[in-house]
Amino acid sequence: MTMETVQANPASGNPAAPKVEQRAGKYLTFQLGNEEFAIQVLCVREIMGVQEITAVPQTPCYVKGVINLRGKVIPVVDLRLKFGLPEMEYTQRTCIIVVQIQGQADKLMIGVIVDAVSEVLTLQGSEIEDTPDFGSGVATPYLLGMAKIKGKVKILLDIDRLLSSQEVSGLSF
Amino acid sequence: MAGDADKKTIGIGTPSANPLASDPELLNDFILEAREHLTTIELQLLTLDQDPAHAEAIHAVFRGFHTIKGMAGFLDLDAVRDVAHEVETILDLARNAQLTITSEVIDAILASKDYLSHWLSELEAMLQSGRQPEGQDNRALIALIRGVAPGPGTAPAPAAKLAVTEAPAKPEAAPVADASEGACEAADTEGVTGDVLKLALEVASNEKNEAPSPALSETPAADPLEAQKPSELPAAVARSIKVDTAKLDYLVDMVGEMVIAQSMVRHDPDLATGLKPRLGRNLSQLARITDEVQRTAMSMRMIPIGQLFQKTSRLVRDLSRKASKQVDLELSGEETELDRNIVEELADPLMHMVRNAVDHGIETAEERVARGKSPNAKVLLKAGHQAGHILIQISDDGRGLDCEKLLRKAREKGLIDPDATLTEAETFNLIFHPGFSTAEKITDVSGRGVGMDVVRKHVQKLRGRIEVHSTLGQGTTFLMKLPLTLAIIDGLVVAVGNQRYIVPIFAVREMLKPAEDAISTIRGREEMAMVRGALLPLIRLHQRFGVQPRFDNPWDSLLIVSENGGKQFCLMVDELIGKQEVVIKSLGETMRNIPGVAGGAILGDGRVGLILDLEGLFGTRLDASAA
Repeated sequence: MTMETVQANPASGNPAAPKVEQRAGKYLTFQLGNEEFAIQVLCVREIMGVQEITAVPQTPCYVKGVINLRGKVIPVVDLRLKFGLPEMEYTQRTCIIVVQIQGQADKLMIGVIVDAVSEVLTLQGSEIEDTPDFGSGVATPYLLGMAKIKGKVKILLDIDRLLSSQEVSGLSF
Repeated sequence: MAGDADKKTIGIGTPSANPLASDPELLNDFILEAREHLTTIELQLLTLDQDPAHAEAIHAVFRGFHTIKGMAGFLDLDAVRDVAHEVETILDLARNAQLTITSEVIDAILASKDYLSHWLSELEAMLQSGRQPEGQDNRALIALIRGVAPGPGTAPAPAAKLAVTEAPAKPEAAPVADASEGACEAADTEGVTGDVLKLALEVASNEKNEAPSPALSETPAADPLEAQKPSELPAAVARSIKVDTAKLDYLVDMVGEMVIAQSMVRHDPDLATGLKPRLGRNLSQLARITDEVQRTAMSMRMIPIGQLFQKTSRLVRDLSRKASKQVDLELSGEETELDRNIVEELADPLMHMVRNAVDHGIETAEERVARGKSPNAKVLLKAGHQAGHILIQISDDGRGLDCEKLLRKAREKGLIDPDATLTEAETFNLIFHPGFSTAEKITDVSGRGVGMDVVRKHVQKLRGRIEVHSTLGQGTTFLMKLPLTLAIIDGLVVAVGNQRYIVPIFAVREMLKPAEDAISTIRGREEMAMVRGALLPLIRLHQRFGVQPRFDNPWDSLLIVSENGGKQFCLMVDELIGKQEVVIKSLGETMRNIPGVAGGAILGDGRVGLILDLEGLFGTRLDASAA
């Protein structure tokens, strides 16, 4: 407990930093370029291969369009483009992770395109560190923290914040 | 007060005096709703029995009786209303802590509840067989209810106790009495008043009196009542049930998916080659069943438009009296059924238009006589089916729309250029402009020029179309063309580049491949196409949506002629793939307001196609050219 409180201190500048205890749990990790990211398993609905996506006009470039998820039409976001990484051809390993996030009114499903899905990890609270302060001007509101597993750093994403509908709709009229 | 109650105890009031009271539709709704309230009331009473100070339960029971009282008053069911009123009175006392809820009070309320449910059964029987309901004396019951209230107390305890001993007998007696609630009820009332009033007693009730159950009579009323419930509920459940509309929508959605999946299987290229007869037969059988399921699912949401028309008849009466005009309302096609959502959405525009017709359209009687018309004006409301659509017509034989006046007003307000020439249709469409009103003076009823604008918005929301026809001095007719349902639309599937879009068929006037010399440009940018002698603006869908098209020349492509607010325009697409019924899906809250896109639909191959919103497309073009 004491250790965790100490860890939480550097993040005091970030008012919305979630409690360390809440960050422990199961995470789905995936690759994007050379980096490994992780999102909480609880919000993952399903993982599927890339299928044909219907483009929707007048949406930001990272919104690739909509797909048919068993009769439901859901939007798909390319996380590479969202993070400003260069666009890449979709391969056999490219996946759409369907996540459920809290929208303005209802829960909504969004597909997220990632390079490849790796594994499901159980992270203890002690394994998670806060995002280092990059100084002013670098906004990290959707980073939950970092986890160092076997010498590799995994970036924990707050998918709700990342895809919050304000963020999506704000750019799509 | 007592005399007042006595007068109105028997019969369902005066049905002839109030047309609403004899409306089977309304009565049915009343029965359904009242039953629901009674179920809640019973539940809450049982809670009160356990915890007499439970404030929320008292409120819930009060609300239930209050609603029933209101509805009963509306339907001239005086006996019901009076009982509900009495119960409401004691509940009000309880609410204000002037009366403690004892088991006697609860018994009295429960007795009233039983009385009311008996009435409901009677009403239902009347609706089915047409026989007049048996009058059930409520004097005894009212006396009982008043008895439990403080003040002029009339020995409430013994009467109430009788009621308690009576209740347990019911479960046993009910089967014997052929579940006749009438008999139960009679017994109840009779028992309650302690044989003072020999009312319409039936044999069954006598049997019940002979079979009291002493063991149970010691327990509070809760147990026997619970036992009694099942015998009452099934009767109400069997005929119609209330279903969450969200569930129904989901069902209709899924059925839509099934129809699409079925057609996918049927048109599978693998099956088309060398189709065995047996498989073919089975497939057609499947198609027939799917069709039937779809029709049934859709019909569950359909309600007749008559209810809506009835509301307008009241409005016409009130308005014509207020404006001292003589107006006859003629209704036709009330039995036409359409989607419940549409009926709800239609209520406002219909009111607006009827109001307009009576207030503006129709002249005063003197004026009419001076013009050689009958002093009685006519307003016609007509509904009917036409080619998979619902057509609703609102006509009046009033003064009609004056083109000159409309144009003058429009020029005054700067809505059109002073030297613009408008066709008749375009001129009439001016009335849909926000803030446009030709009324010389603003009345409290209409004339502010918001009405028709709202009407058009509503109709557009329903994916319908509205037209105006008018002859000066002879009247005006509004025609609304609406889809049967909001869940499915008939669409044309068109291709642009590698994308496919769905154009709602109701928005399409015609389609054509233009000749090369039919295309002209203005200032080298704006394109126009000559269609049937009219120059129409040309919108390239690929430009608007940023898609790489297959053809760059309009004469290689297909033009879809559409109309928006009386103005026609052409939409350029690569080719027509086919016509398909599609289930409309929302794109979700993140993509709700994309101009030009009305939603998405799953196409035959499982991919998503965007449904175009032609109005939105045309609107953005105007904005773009203005900027």
